[in-house]
Amino acid sequence: MISGQIVLIISLLYFAVLFGVAFYADKRRQAGKSLLATNSYIYSLAIAIYCTSWTFYGSVGRAATSGLEFLPIYLGPTLMAFTWWFILRKMVRISKEQNIVSIADFISSRYDRSALLGAIVTLFAVFGIMPYIALQLKAVASTLDILSTPLTLPSKGLGSLVSQLPPYVDTAFIVALVLGLFGMLFGARHLDSSERHEGLVVAVALESLIKLIAFLAVGVFVTYGLFDGFLDIFHKFFEQFPERQDLFQLGTERTPYTKWFSLIFLSMMAIMFLPRQFHIMVTENADESQIKKAMWRFPAYAFLINLFVIPIALGGLILNGGDTSQADFFVLTLPLSAGHPWLAMLVFIGGLSASAGMVMVSSVTISTMIHNHLVMPIILRLKLQTHDFSGILINLKRLGIIGVVFLGYFYFKIIGDSYALVNMGLISFMAAAQFSPAVIGGLYWKRANRKAATTGLVLGFILWFYTLLVPSFVRSGWLTSNILENGPFNIELLKPLELFGLRGFDIFTHSLFWSMLFNISAYLTISFFIKQSKTEEIQADKFVDILRQDKGLPTQLRRISKAPTIMEFVELMSKFIGEKPAKHAISEFLEDREINARGSLPDDEIPQLRSFTERTLAGYVGAAPARIILENYLSTRGSKMEDVFDIFGSVTISHASSREQLSVLYDAAQIVASGAELQSILDNILDLLSSQFKFDLCVIRFLEDDSMTLVVKSQQGMSSVHFGQSERNLNMDTYIGQAFLSNVTAVVNDTDFLEKPTSSEIIHREGITCFAHTPIILEGEPVGVLSAFSRTVKGIFTKSFIALFENLARQVALAWRNDKQLQGLLEVHEQEREMQIAKNIQRSLLPTAIPEMENVSVAGLCVPAHQIGGDYFDFIPREESRFDLIIADVSGHNIGSALIMAETRTFIHARIDNLKKPDTMLHSLNKFFFDNMDCSDLFVTMFYLQYCSATRNLSYSSAGHNNPLLWRKQQQRIELLDAEGLIFGIKQDVAFEKQTTELAAGDLLLLYTDGIIEAEDSHDEFFGVERLGKLLQECGDLTPQEIIDQIMSQVRIFTGLRHFNDDITLVVMKVLK
Amino acid sequence: MKDHQGDSTKEAWILCLILGVILINFPFIHIFNNEQMIFGLPPLVLYFFIGWPASICVTWLFVRQMNKENTDI
Repeated sequence: MISGQIVLIISLLYFAVLFGVAFYADKRRQAGKSLLATNSYIYSLAIAIYCTSWTFYGSVGRAATSGLEFLPIYLGPTLMAFTWWFILRKMVRISKEQNIVSIADFISSRYDRSALLGAIVTLFAVFGIMPYIALQLKAVASTLDILSTPLTLPSKGLGSLVSQLPPYVDTAFIVALVLGLFGMLFGARHLDSSERHEGLVVAVALESLIKLIAFLAVGVFVTYGLFDGFLDIFHKFFEQFPERQDLFQLGTERTPYTKWFSLIFLSMMAIMFLPRQFHIMVTENADESQIKKAMWRFPAYAFLINLFVIPIALGGLILNGGDTSQADFFVLTLPLSAGHPWLAMLVFIGGLSASAGMVMVSSVTISTMIHNHLVMPIILRLKLQTHDFSGILINLKRLGIIGVVFLGYFYFKIIGDSYALVNMGLISFMAAAQFSPAVIGGLYWKRANRKAATTGLVLGFILWFYTLLVPSFVRSGWLTSNILENGPFNIELLKPLELFGLRGFDIFTHSLFWSMLFNISAYLTISFFIKQSKTEEIQADKFVDILRQDKGLPTQLRRISKAPTIMEFVELMSKFIGEKPAKHAISEFLEDREINARGSLPDDEIPQLRSFTERTLAGYVGAAPARIILENYLSTRGSKMEDVFDIFGSVTISHASSREQLSVLYDAAQIVASGAELQSILDNILDLLSSQFKFDLCVIRFLEDDSMTLVVKSQQGMSSVHFGQSERNLNMDTYIGQAFLSNVTAVVNDTDFLEKPTSSEIIHREGITCFAHTPIILEGEPVGVLSAFSRTVKGIFTKSFIALFENLARQVALAWRNDKQLQGLLEVHEQEREMQIAKNIQRSLLPTAIPEMENVSVAGLCVPAHQIGGDYFDFIPREESRFDLIIADVSGHNIGSALIMAETRTFIHARIDNLKKPDTMLHSLNKFFFDNMDCSDLFVTMFYLQYCSATRNLSYSSAGHNNPLLWRKQQQRIELLDAEGLIFGIKQDVAFEKQTTELAAGDLLLLYTDGIIEAEDSHDEFFGVERLGKLLQECGDLTPQEIIDQIMSQVRIFTGLRHFNDDITLVVMKVLK
Repeated sequence: MKDHQGDSTKEAWILCLILGVILINFPFIHIFNNEQMIFGLPPLVLYFFIGWPASICVTWLFVRQMNKENTDI
């Protein structure tokens, strides 16, 4: 034996360690580094809270007295664990979404949030848990007494240790007090709205580990220390007790198959629906994927802890001469009597773990249920006028925990010794099983309704009480045995153990049959005949369809990209350029292309058709507008490989999404379509989001390209300086950064389980309970983030809600793009306006009308390829009958070209009086360009002529310009005027050759820029000098203006639908006489 | 293709569950319910303490398969 004081001290130390672990876990959670979320072993181990002292001591007792009967209690859960991915995951998902914290909450939520149902389940749970807690107290008290009292002496327990205590204070009382106090410490230090106690769970997981180690230790000790392995124990047992072979048989009088089946069924229900199991497995679940691991880890745990049950039981029987009276405590007495008190101490700690974990979690859970479903409704009904309840509430909760433990204590005092451990446990199992029709039916059957669940539960509860509790009261002498023997009021049919004359079954099968029969029948019948209310229907849909929402429906619907047909392009062009030119253009394009059987182009040709359309449009409306038109057109019809905005697209009209959500989407679409300013659209969308779903904060941030930070563009809700308004850097340390960078919505449905420490501080300081960030995606690239935060509710972000949320983000993206495009159009418009001004200025720089002269006629034309160009021609009269003709081409046709062209003109006009000859003019122009334009990559060519109409003398110089054509009428031939000279600005000092020639009446001179000879037809052929010369020849009798018109029309015919790539300038001079 | 795999995993799952219910109940366990010892052990004890870890392995394999397929059945 070990002295009582030492046992007490070690036990208290152990509790201190547990508390330390719990405290550490809570701190970690607050720091955002949840142990529970990161370590999946904790979840699996915590589920092993199922194995209480009943397992720890009771299994051996049951194995020694009834043989294999202990097994179903663990085989059932093993089988049930197989279904967890379907049933448990569904329960977890629902609970997260609906913020459910207990089984009473779960059942009441499913059935129209019925307060009555919640209260019934709570009461039921309180009564149901009493025997179970009693069982734990009994186990701890008894083992404490055994460990600290010599086996030979009658047990006096702790009473002998503290003799001055009043006689009613026995060991169990002290144990109850201590466990109750620890329950308060772990579960009700402060009022926690979340009802999650991560510290408690981690402590329970540690306890599970300890109890497994302790049990395995004693198992190995008995099997291999006291005996020589499994076979040896069996061999010796059968040798010593050959008559007890039926321990290992079923279908016997002791363990009929019906009982076997009942036990399996009961334990299957218990693992799911005992309040503490629900709390650990559902409420405390941090991550659905942990369920998968628990599915095999928990059964493995159950297997390990049962591996040595039979050897210990048989070993105990052999060593105790077959006496089963102390079989419940073989685990402890075997090492004790073998002289290993410290092994016994370890076993005691293991047993204490098993009991303490169960009592603490159960009392906290039940107390929460009492608080939420019994106390709160009363307080709310009383409408107490106190301003701060929290002090009262936390104390009520603490009182509840102590109260629940002491209910168990009283049950133990009354019933205590009349039952073996395992039977007391089964009474609780039966109570938990009564919840199963309401829960499982509620999960899978939409018609199941509130009245049915209430009636079923009440009936089940009554029958449970009558067929199980009443006999236990009788057995303890609390009620007369008359009721068992003759039935109440001597009505035979109502005998609690043979109800309605059903005889021949064990007490549990009998109770299971009747309670479930009434429970299930009432549940099914009433559900079948009574119609649900509307609100109930919605809840039923939410529960039953919770997993279906995300199945089969891709979260992001991508419209199948369908290439636009040829006709669609024609239609588009027709809108801008008219039907005929459009058709003409397209036939041009299609000329040498294959068209497939469906009347459309092969896929690889579509981009060409696209750019052809753009080019064609550009000819009419300008390049920038054409691009915008085409982009708009393609994106609205969805061929841009972009998620097309479709307000019902991702929702896929299912019953799953409430009308509320659909209407929000519709409203948002209206806002976007309103065409208001971006800021007001963003504000309105956030307003909609936060008011409809009661978010405390909604934020839209867009990426600022320069700083690469997300900058708040709109915000709705609480106005914390550091929270919503701040910018966010882009990295994976924050949820928002993760959402943006990975382009995937980041959701935290419960901020108790945060994985990113950076975020946790601010989240916890602001009291955020759940939030989500979804990237605002445009053409597959994130451009911003839409965020929503809630302080009050957890689990808002269900699959369907996230779909809605993402859809809103897409609408924001659309609004953003519309705005960008509008800005783009405005910009283009502004540019166009400026270009128009430039064009007008440039046009005014060209000679508008060339004066009539006696002997010569001159005409000129300049057609810029774009709005402004670099071509220049001029006609400058000099003294007497002389004048200068200039044609020049500045490369490019942009503002730069236009400026140089203007510069050139200014230079010439300023110096015309000083520089009298073409070559000197070009020479100084070259010097000017060389000195001033050296950094410009533009170059200028020029042809400068001077004509004296009196002498018909023509002198000219060229700066690398196209040679003008001279039609000599008399000789009937074309001459090219040529003079040596370089392009301007290449060399500093260039010698420009001056040529002279005499003209005769009827001679034609054509000056041109390369725009005309390089005009292309559809076969990429140049118009060329030859064609131009021939044309000039044919036009010999026309006036210069007519010649220009003729040339232009011929060139246009030549190029067909093509545009001039370059500016075209023509100057024609005709010598009249 | 992926959905199809997910479905067949789910079907196999349900089959195994039904099989599990059968395997630990009457009448199937009646097969092992006799006094004939096997290796000095009662046949039922042997049956359960071999069958149980086997079933755990099956669950483990299922879970692994599920993770591989990454299906959401």
